[in-house]
Amino acid sequence: MSMSPTPESILEIRNLKKHFPITRGLLRKQVGVVKAVDGVFLSVPAGKTVGLVGESGCGKTTTGHCIMGGTPVTSGEIIFHHPQLGAMDLAKANSAQMSKARCAMQMVFQDPNSSLNPRMTIFDIVAEPLVVNQVARGSALRQRVEELLGLVGLRPEFMQRFPHAFSGGQRQRIVVARALALNPRLIIADEPVSALDVSVQAQILNLLQDLQQTLGLAYLFISHDLSVVEHISDSVAVMYVGKLVEFAPTQTIFHFPKHPYTQALLMSVPRPSPTAQPRAVLGGEVPSSVTPPPGCYFHPRCPFAVQQCAEIEPELIEVAPGHFVRCHLAHELKLEGVGSLDLSVSK
Amino acid sequence: MAESELLLEVRNLKTHFFAEEGIVRAVDGVDFTVARGKTLGVLGESGCGKSVTGFSILRLVQPPGRIVAGEILYHGLHGADNRALDLARCSPTSSQMQSIRGGEIAMIFQEARTSLDPVYTVGSQLIEAIKYHQSLRQEQAKAWGVEMLRRVGLPDPEATFNKYPHQLSGGMCQRVMIAIALSCQPKLLIADEPTTALDVTTEAQVLRLIKDLQEELGMSMIFITHNLGVVAEMADEIVVMYLGKVVEQTDVKALFEDARHPYTQALLRSVPQIGKKSGERLQTVPGSVPHPQNIPAGCPFHPRCPSRMPGLCDRKEPALLPLSGNRLVRCFLYDEDALKGANVHVANT
Repeated sequence: MSMSPTPESILEIRNLKKHFPITRGLLRKQVGVVKAVDGVFLSVPAGKTVGLVGESGCGKTTTGHCIMGGTPVTSGEIIFHHPQLGAMDLAKANSAQMSKARCAMQMVFQDPNSSLNPRMTIFDIVAEPLVVNQVARGSALRQRVEELLGLVGLRPEFMQRFPHAFSGGQRQRIVVARALALNPRLIIADEPVSALDVSVQAQILNLLQDLQQTLGLAYLFISHDLSVVEHISDSVAVMYVGKLVEFAPTQTIFHFPKHPYTQALLMSVPRPSPTAQPRAVLGGEVPSSVTPPPGCYFHPRCPFAVQQCAEIEPELIEVAPGHFVRCHLAHELKLEGVGSLDLSVSK
Repeated sequence: MAESELLLEVRNLKTHFFAEEGIVRAVDGVDFTVARGKTLGVLGESGCGKSVTGFSILRLVQPPGRIVAGEILYHGLHGADNRALDLARCSPTSSQMQSIRGGEIAMIFQEARTSLDPVYTVGSQLIEAIKYHQSLRQEQAKAWGVEMLRRVGLPDPEATFNKYPHQLSGGMCQRVMIAIALSCQPKLLIADEPTTALDVTTEAQVLRLIKDLQEELGMSMIFITHNLGVVAEMADEIVVMYLGKVVEQTDVKALFEDARHPYTQALLRSVPQIGKKSGERLQTVPGSVPHPQNIPAGCPFHPRCPSRMPGLCDRKEPALLPLSGNRLVRCFLYDEDALKGANVHVANT
């Protein structure tokens, strides 16, 4: 597949693979391999949000780690368009290049309690990236931290407090302020609202959208919550057992999916409406990424599977401009999106 | 509701924790009833006391926590005088309570893997519960255990019986826990966020299973969750809790069509709904849930409430008021006497 390189895209991932060896015994002999990420294609346009969805263990978090250079990549390309340094392939970058790239892309994690050092004040936490990269010091540093806290809606008076004095939502705001410190162009947000209360989730989602508008940020928004992803994303990538199975604009994914797994995911989302049709239940379990089934990984659970699916692994094909599907039957199947669900009653 | 249809009545339940830093009023005046064969959904955010309510019913609250007031009337036992048993008055360690726990009322938890003992096989944990409540011999208990594993839809139940929890996936562990909970055919199942740790496709499987088994066994259920979608699917009646109190009680349809309490309304509006991408900002509830040691005076929701009435909501605590159609709401907006007395003008009713 060739995802046409658009000049506006800030991140392009081509056939990314990350395999972890399984070793055993005294000599650490390799006995198997976990194909955590095994063929991911993605393109994040500048200033836009791409949602990355899939069930636990499908490799969405590992994809994020590979982009940030947290773990060496097995194969594939991660092209990052650095605002000053131009295009660079993070899959092959050395540590000096990587640390430059990391100034322009930052990460926000799921649990704000474990991503903030409890012994550092809010000032120290938010100032750390600025100090490490020697961007600012003294009164300029203080001013920048105040500005960042203002951006995320926190009062600068609280700067000398420790993380325990803040609520979960406020802590996630601190994490976002730290991520913004170096003026990144891309933020990889790994389940940023999953650990928050329902009434606080909406505040953080609105904050992320406001920041995108004012600062022109691009997001790779990793989540298992399809309702949240639909709300915030411009396009959505669906992963299953390490592979990208579908990638398309949000409206297309949710209303005209082409992969049976995407449809199954959409149909299994609980809907806040007591009159909605009962959810369609997908049978079986997610296969292990150590011993995936032959052919298409989804064929044992797929209601449409034919002989070919059990034997030949499907390639990612472009069924319409910007709509990529990894399915042998992509052109034939008529699948239903969320439009078929009864949503008329609830407010 | 006729007396015979009732299985459990909770009246003015208060469970407080006497911590060194002060008293935490985790559950502070909760009333609800559970009808036979029906599901009561308990909806609320973290810290609202929904789990502690479940623990209180089974008398599993650990010190420094204690039930300080209220009644938990259980109608499932037919004693000589045919009266309900007040679980709040039973000693947690009494043999009566131990036979109720698991035998009459069972509970399943959020993290199935941490609720199962990693050093025992699934089978021995199943048999332990079965033999405690029923006088069966080892072989009979084993046969019953395997049958339970088959009923919760585990593939190859004989093999699963001899496996350890770490050999099973999260969804399978949750099925095992359901098998243990239902092995003695309880009349009431308390499900405390049973699918929160599971993926959506597995969640759909487990919820379908719980519903099917409920129908088969005719049991009642208290389904505790923070997820509006899950509660819409599972519950017949819903109580919404905020900071240890029930703020609204109604049937499931009315809650989603016509929520009355400002907190419930805000909760429903703040969740993005699938298939309804509008590109607009979400409506938020300002602020965050207060710490349970600093519960605001008056109505506990008033600092975050868009329709608060100064001089009333921050001074007096509203009572749970009956409205038409068997619903209850704890809000001054629906209390005409209080509105007249305080002489405030309400624009937003």
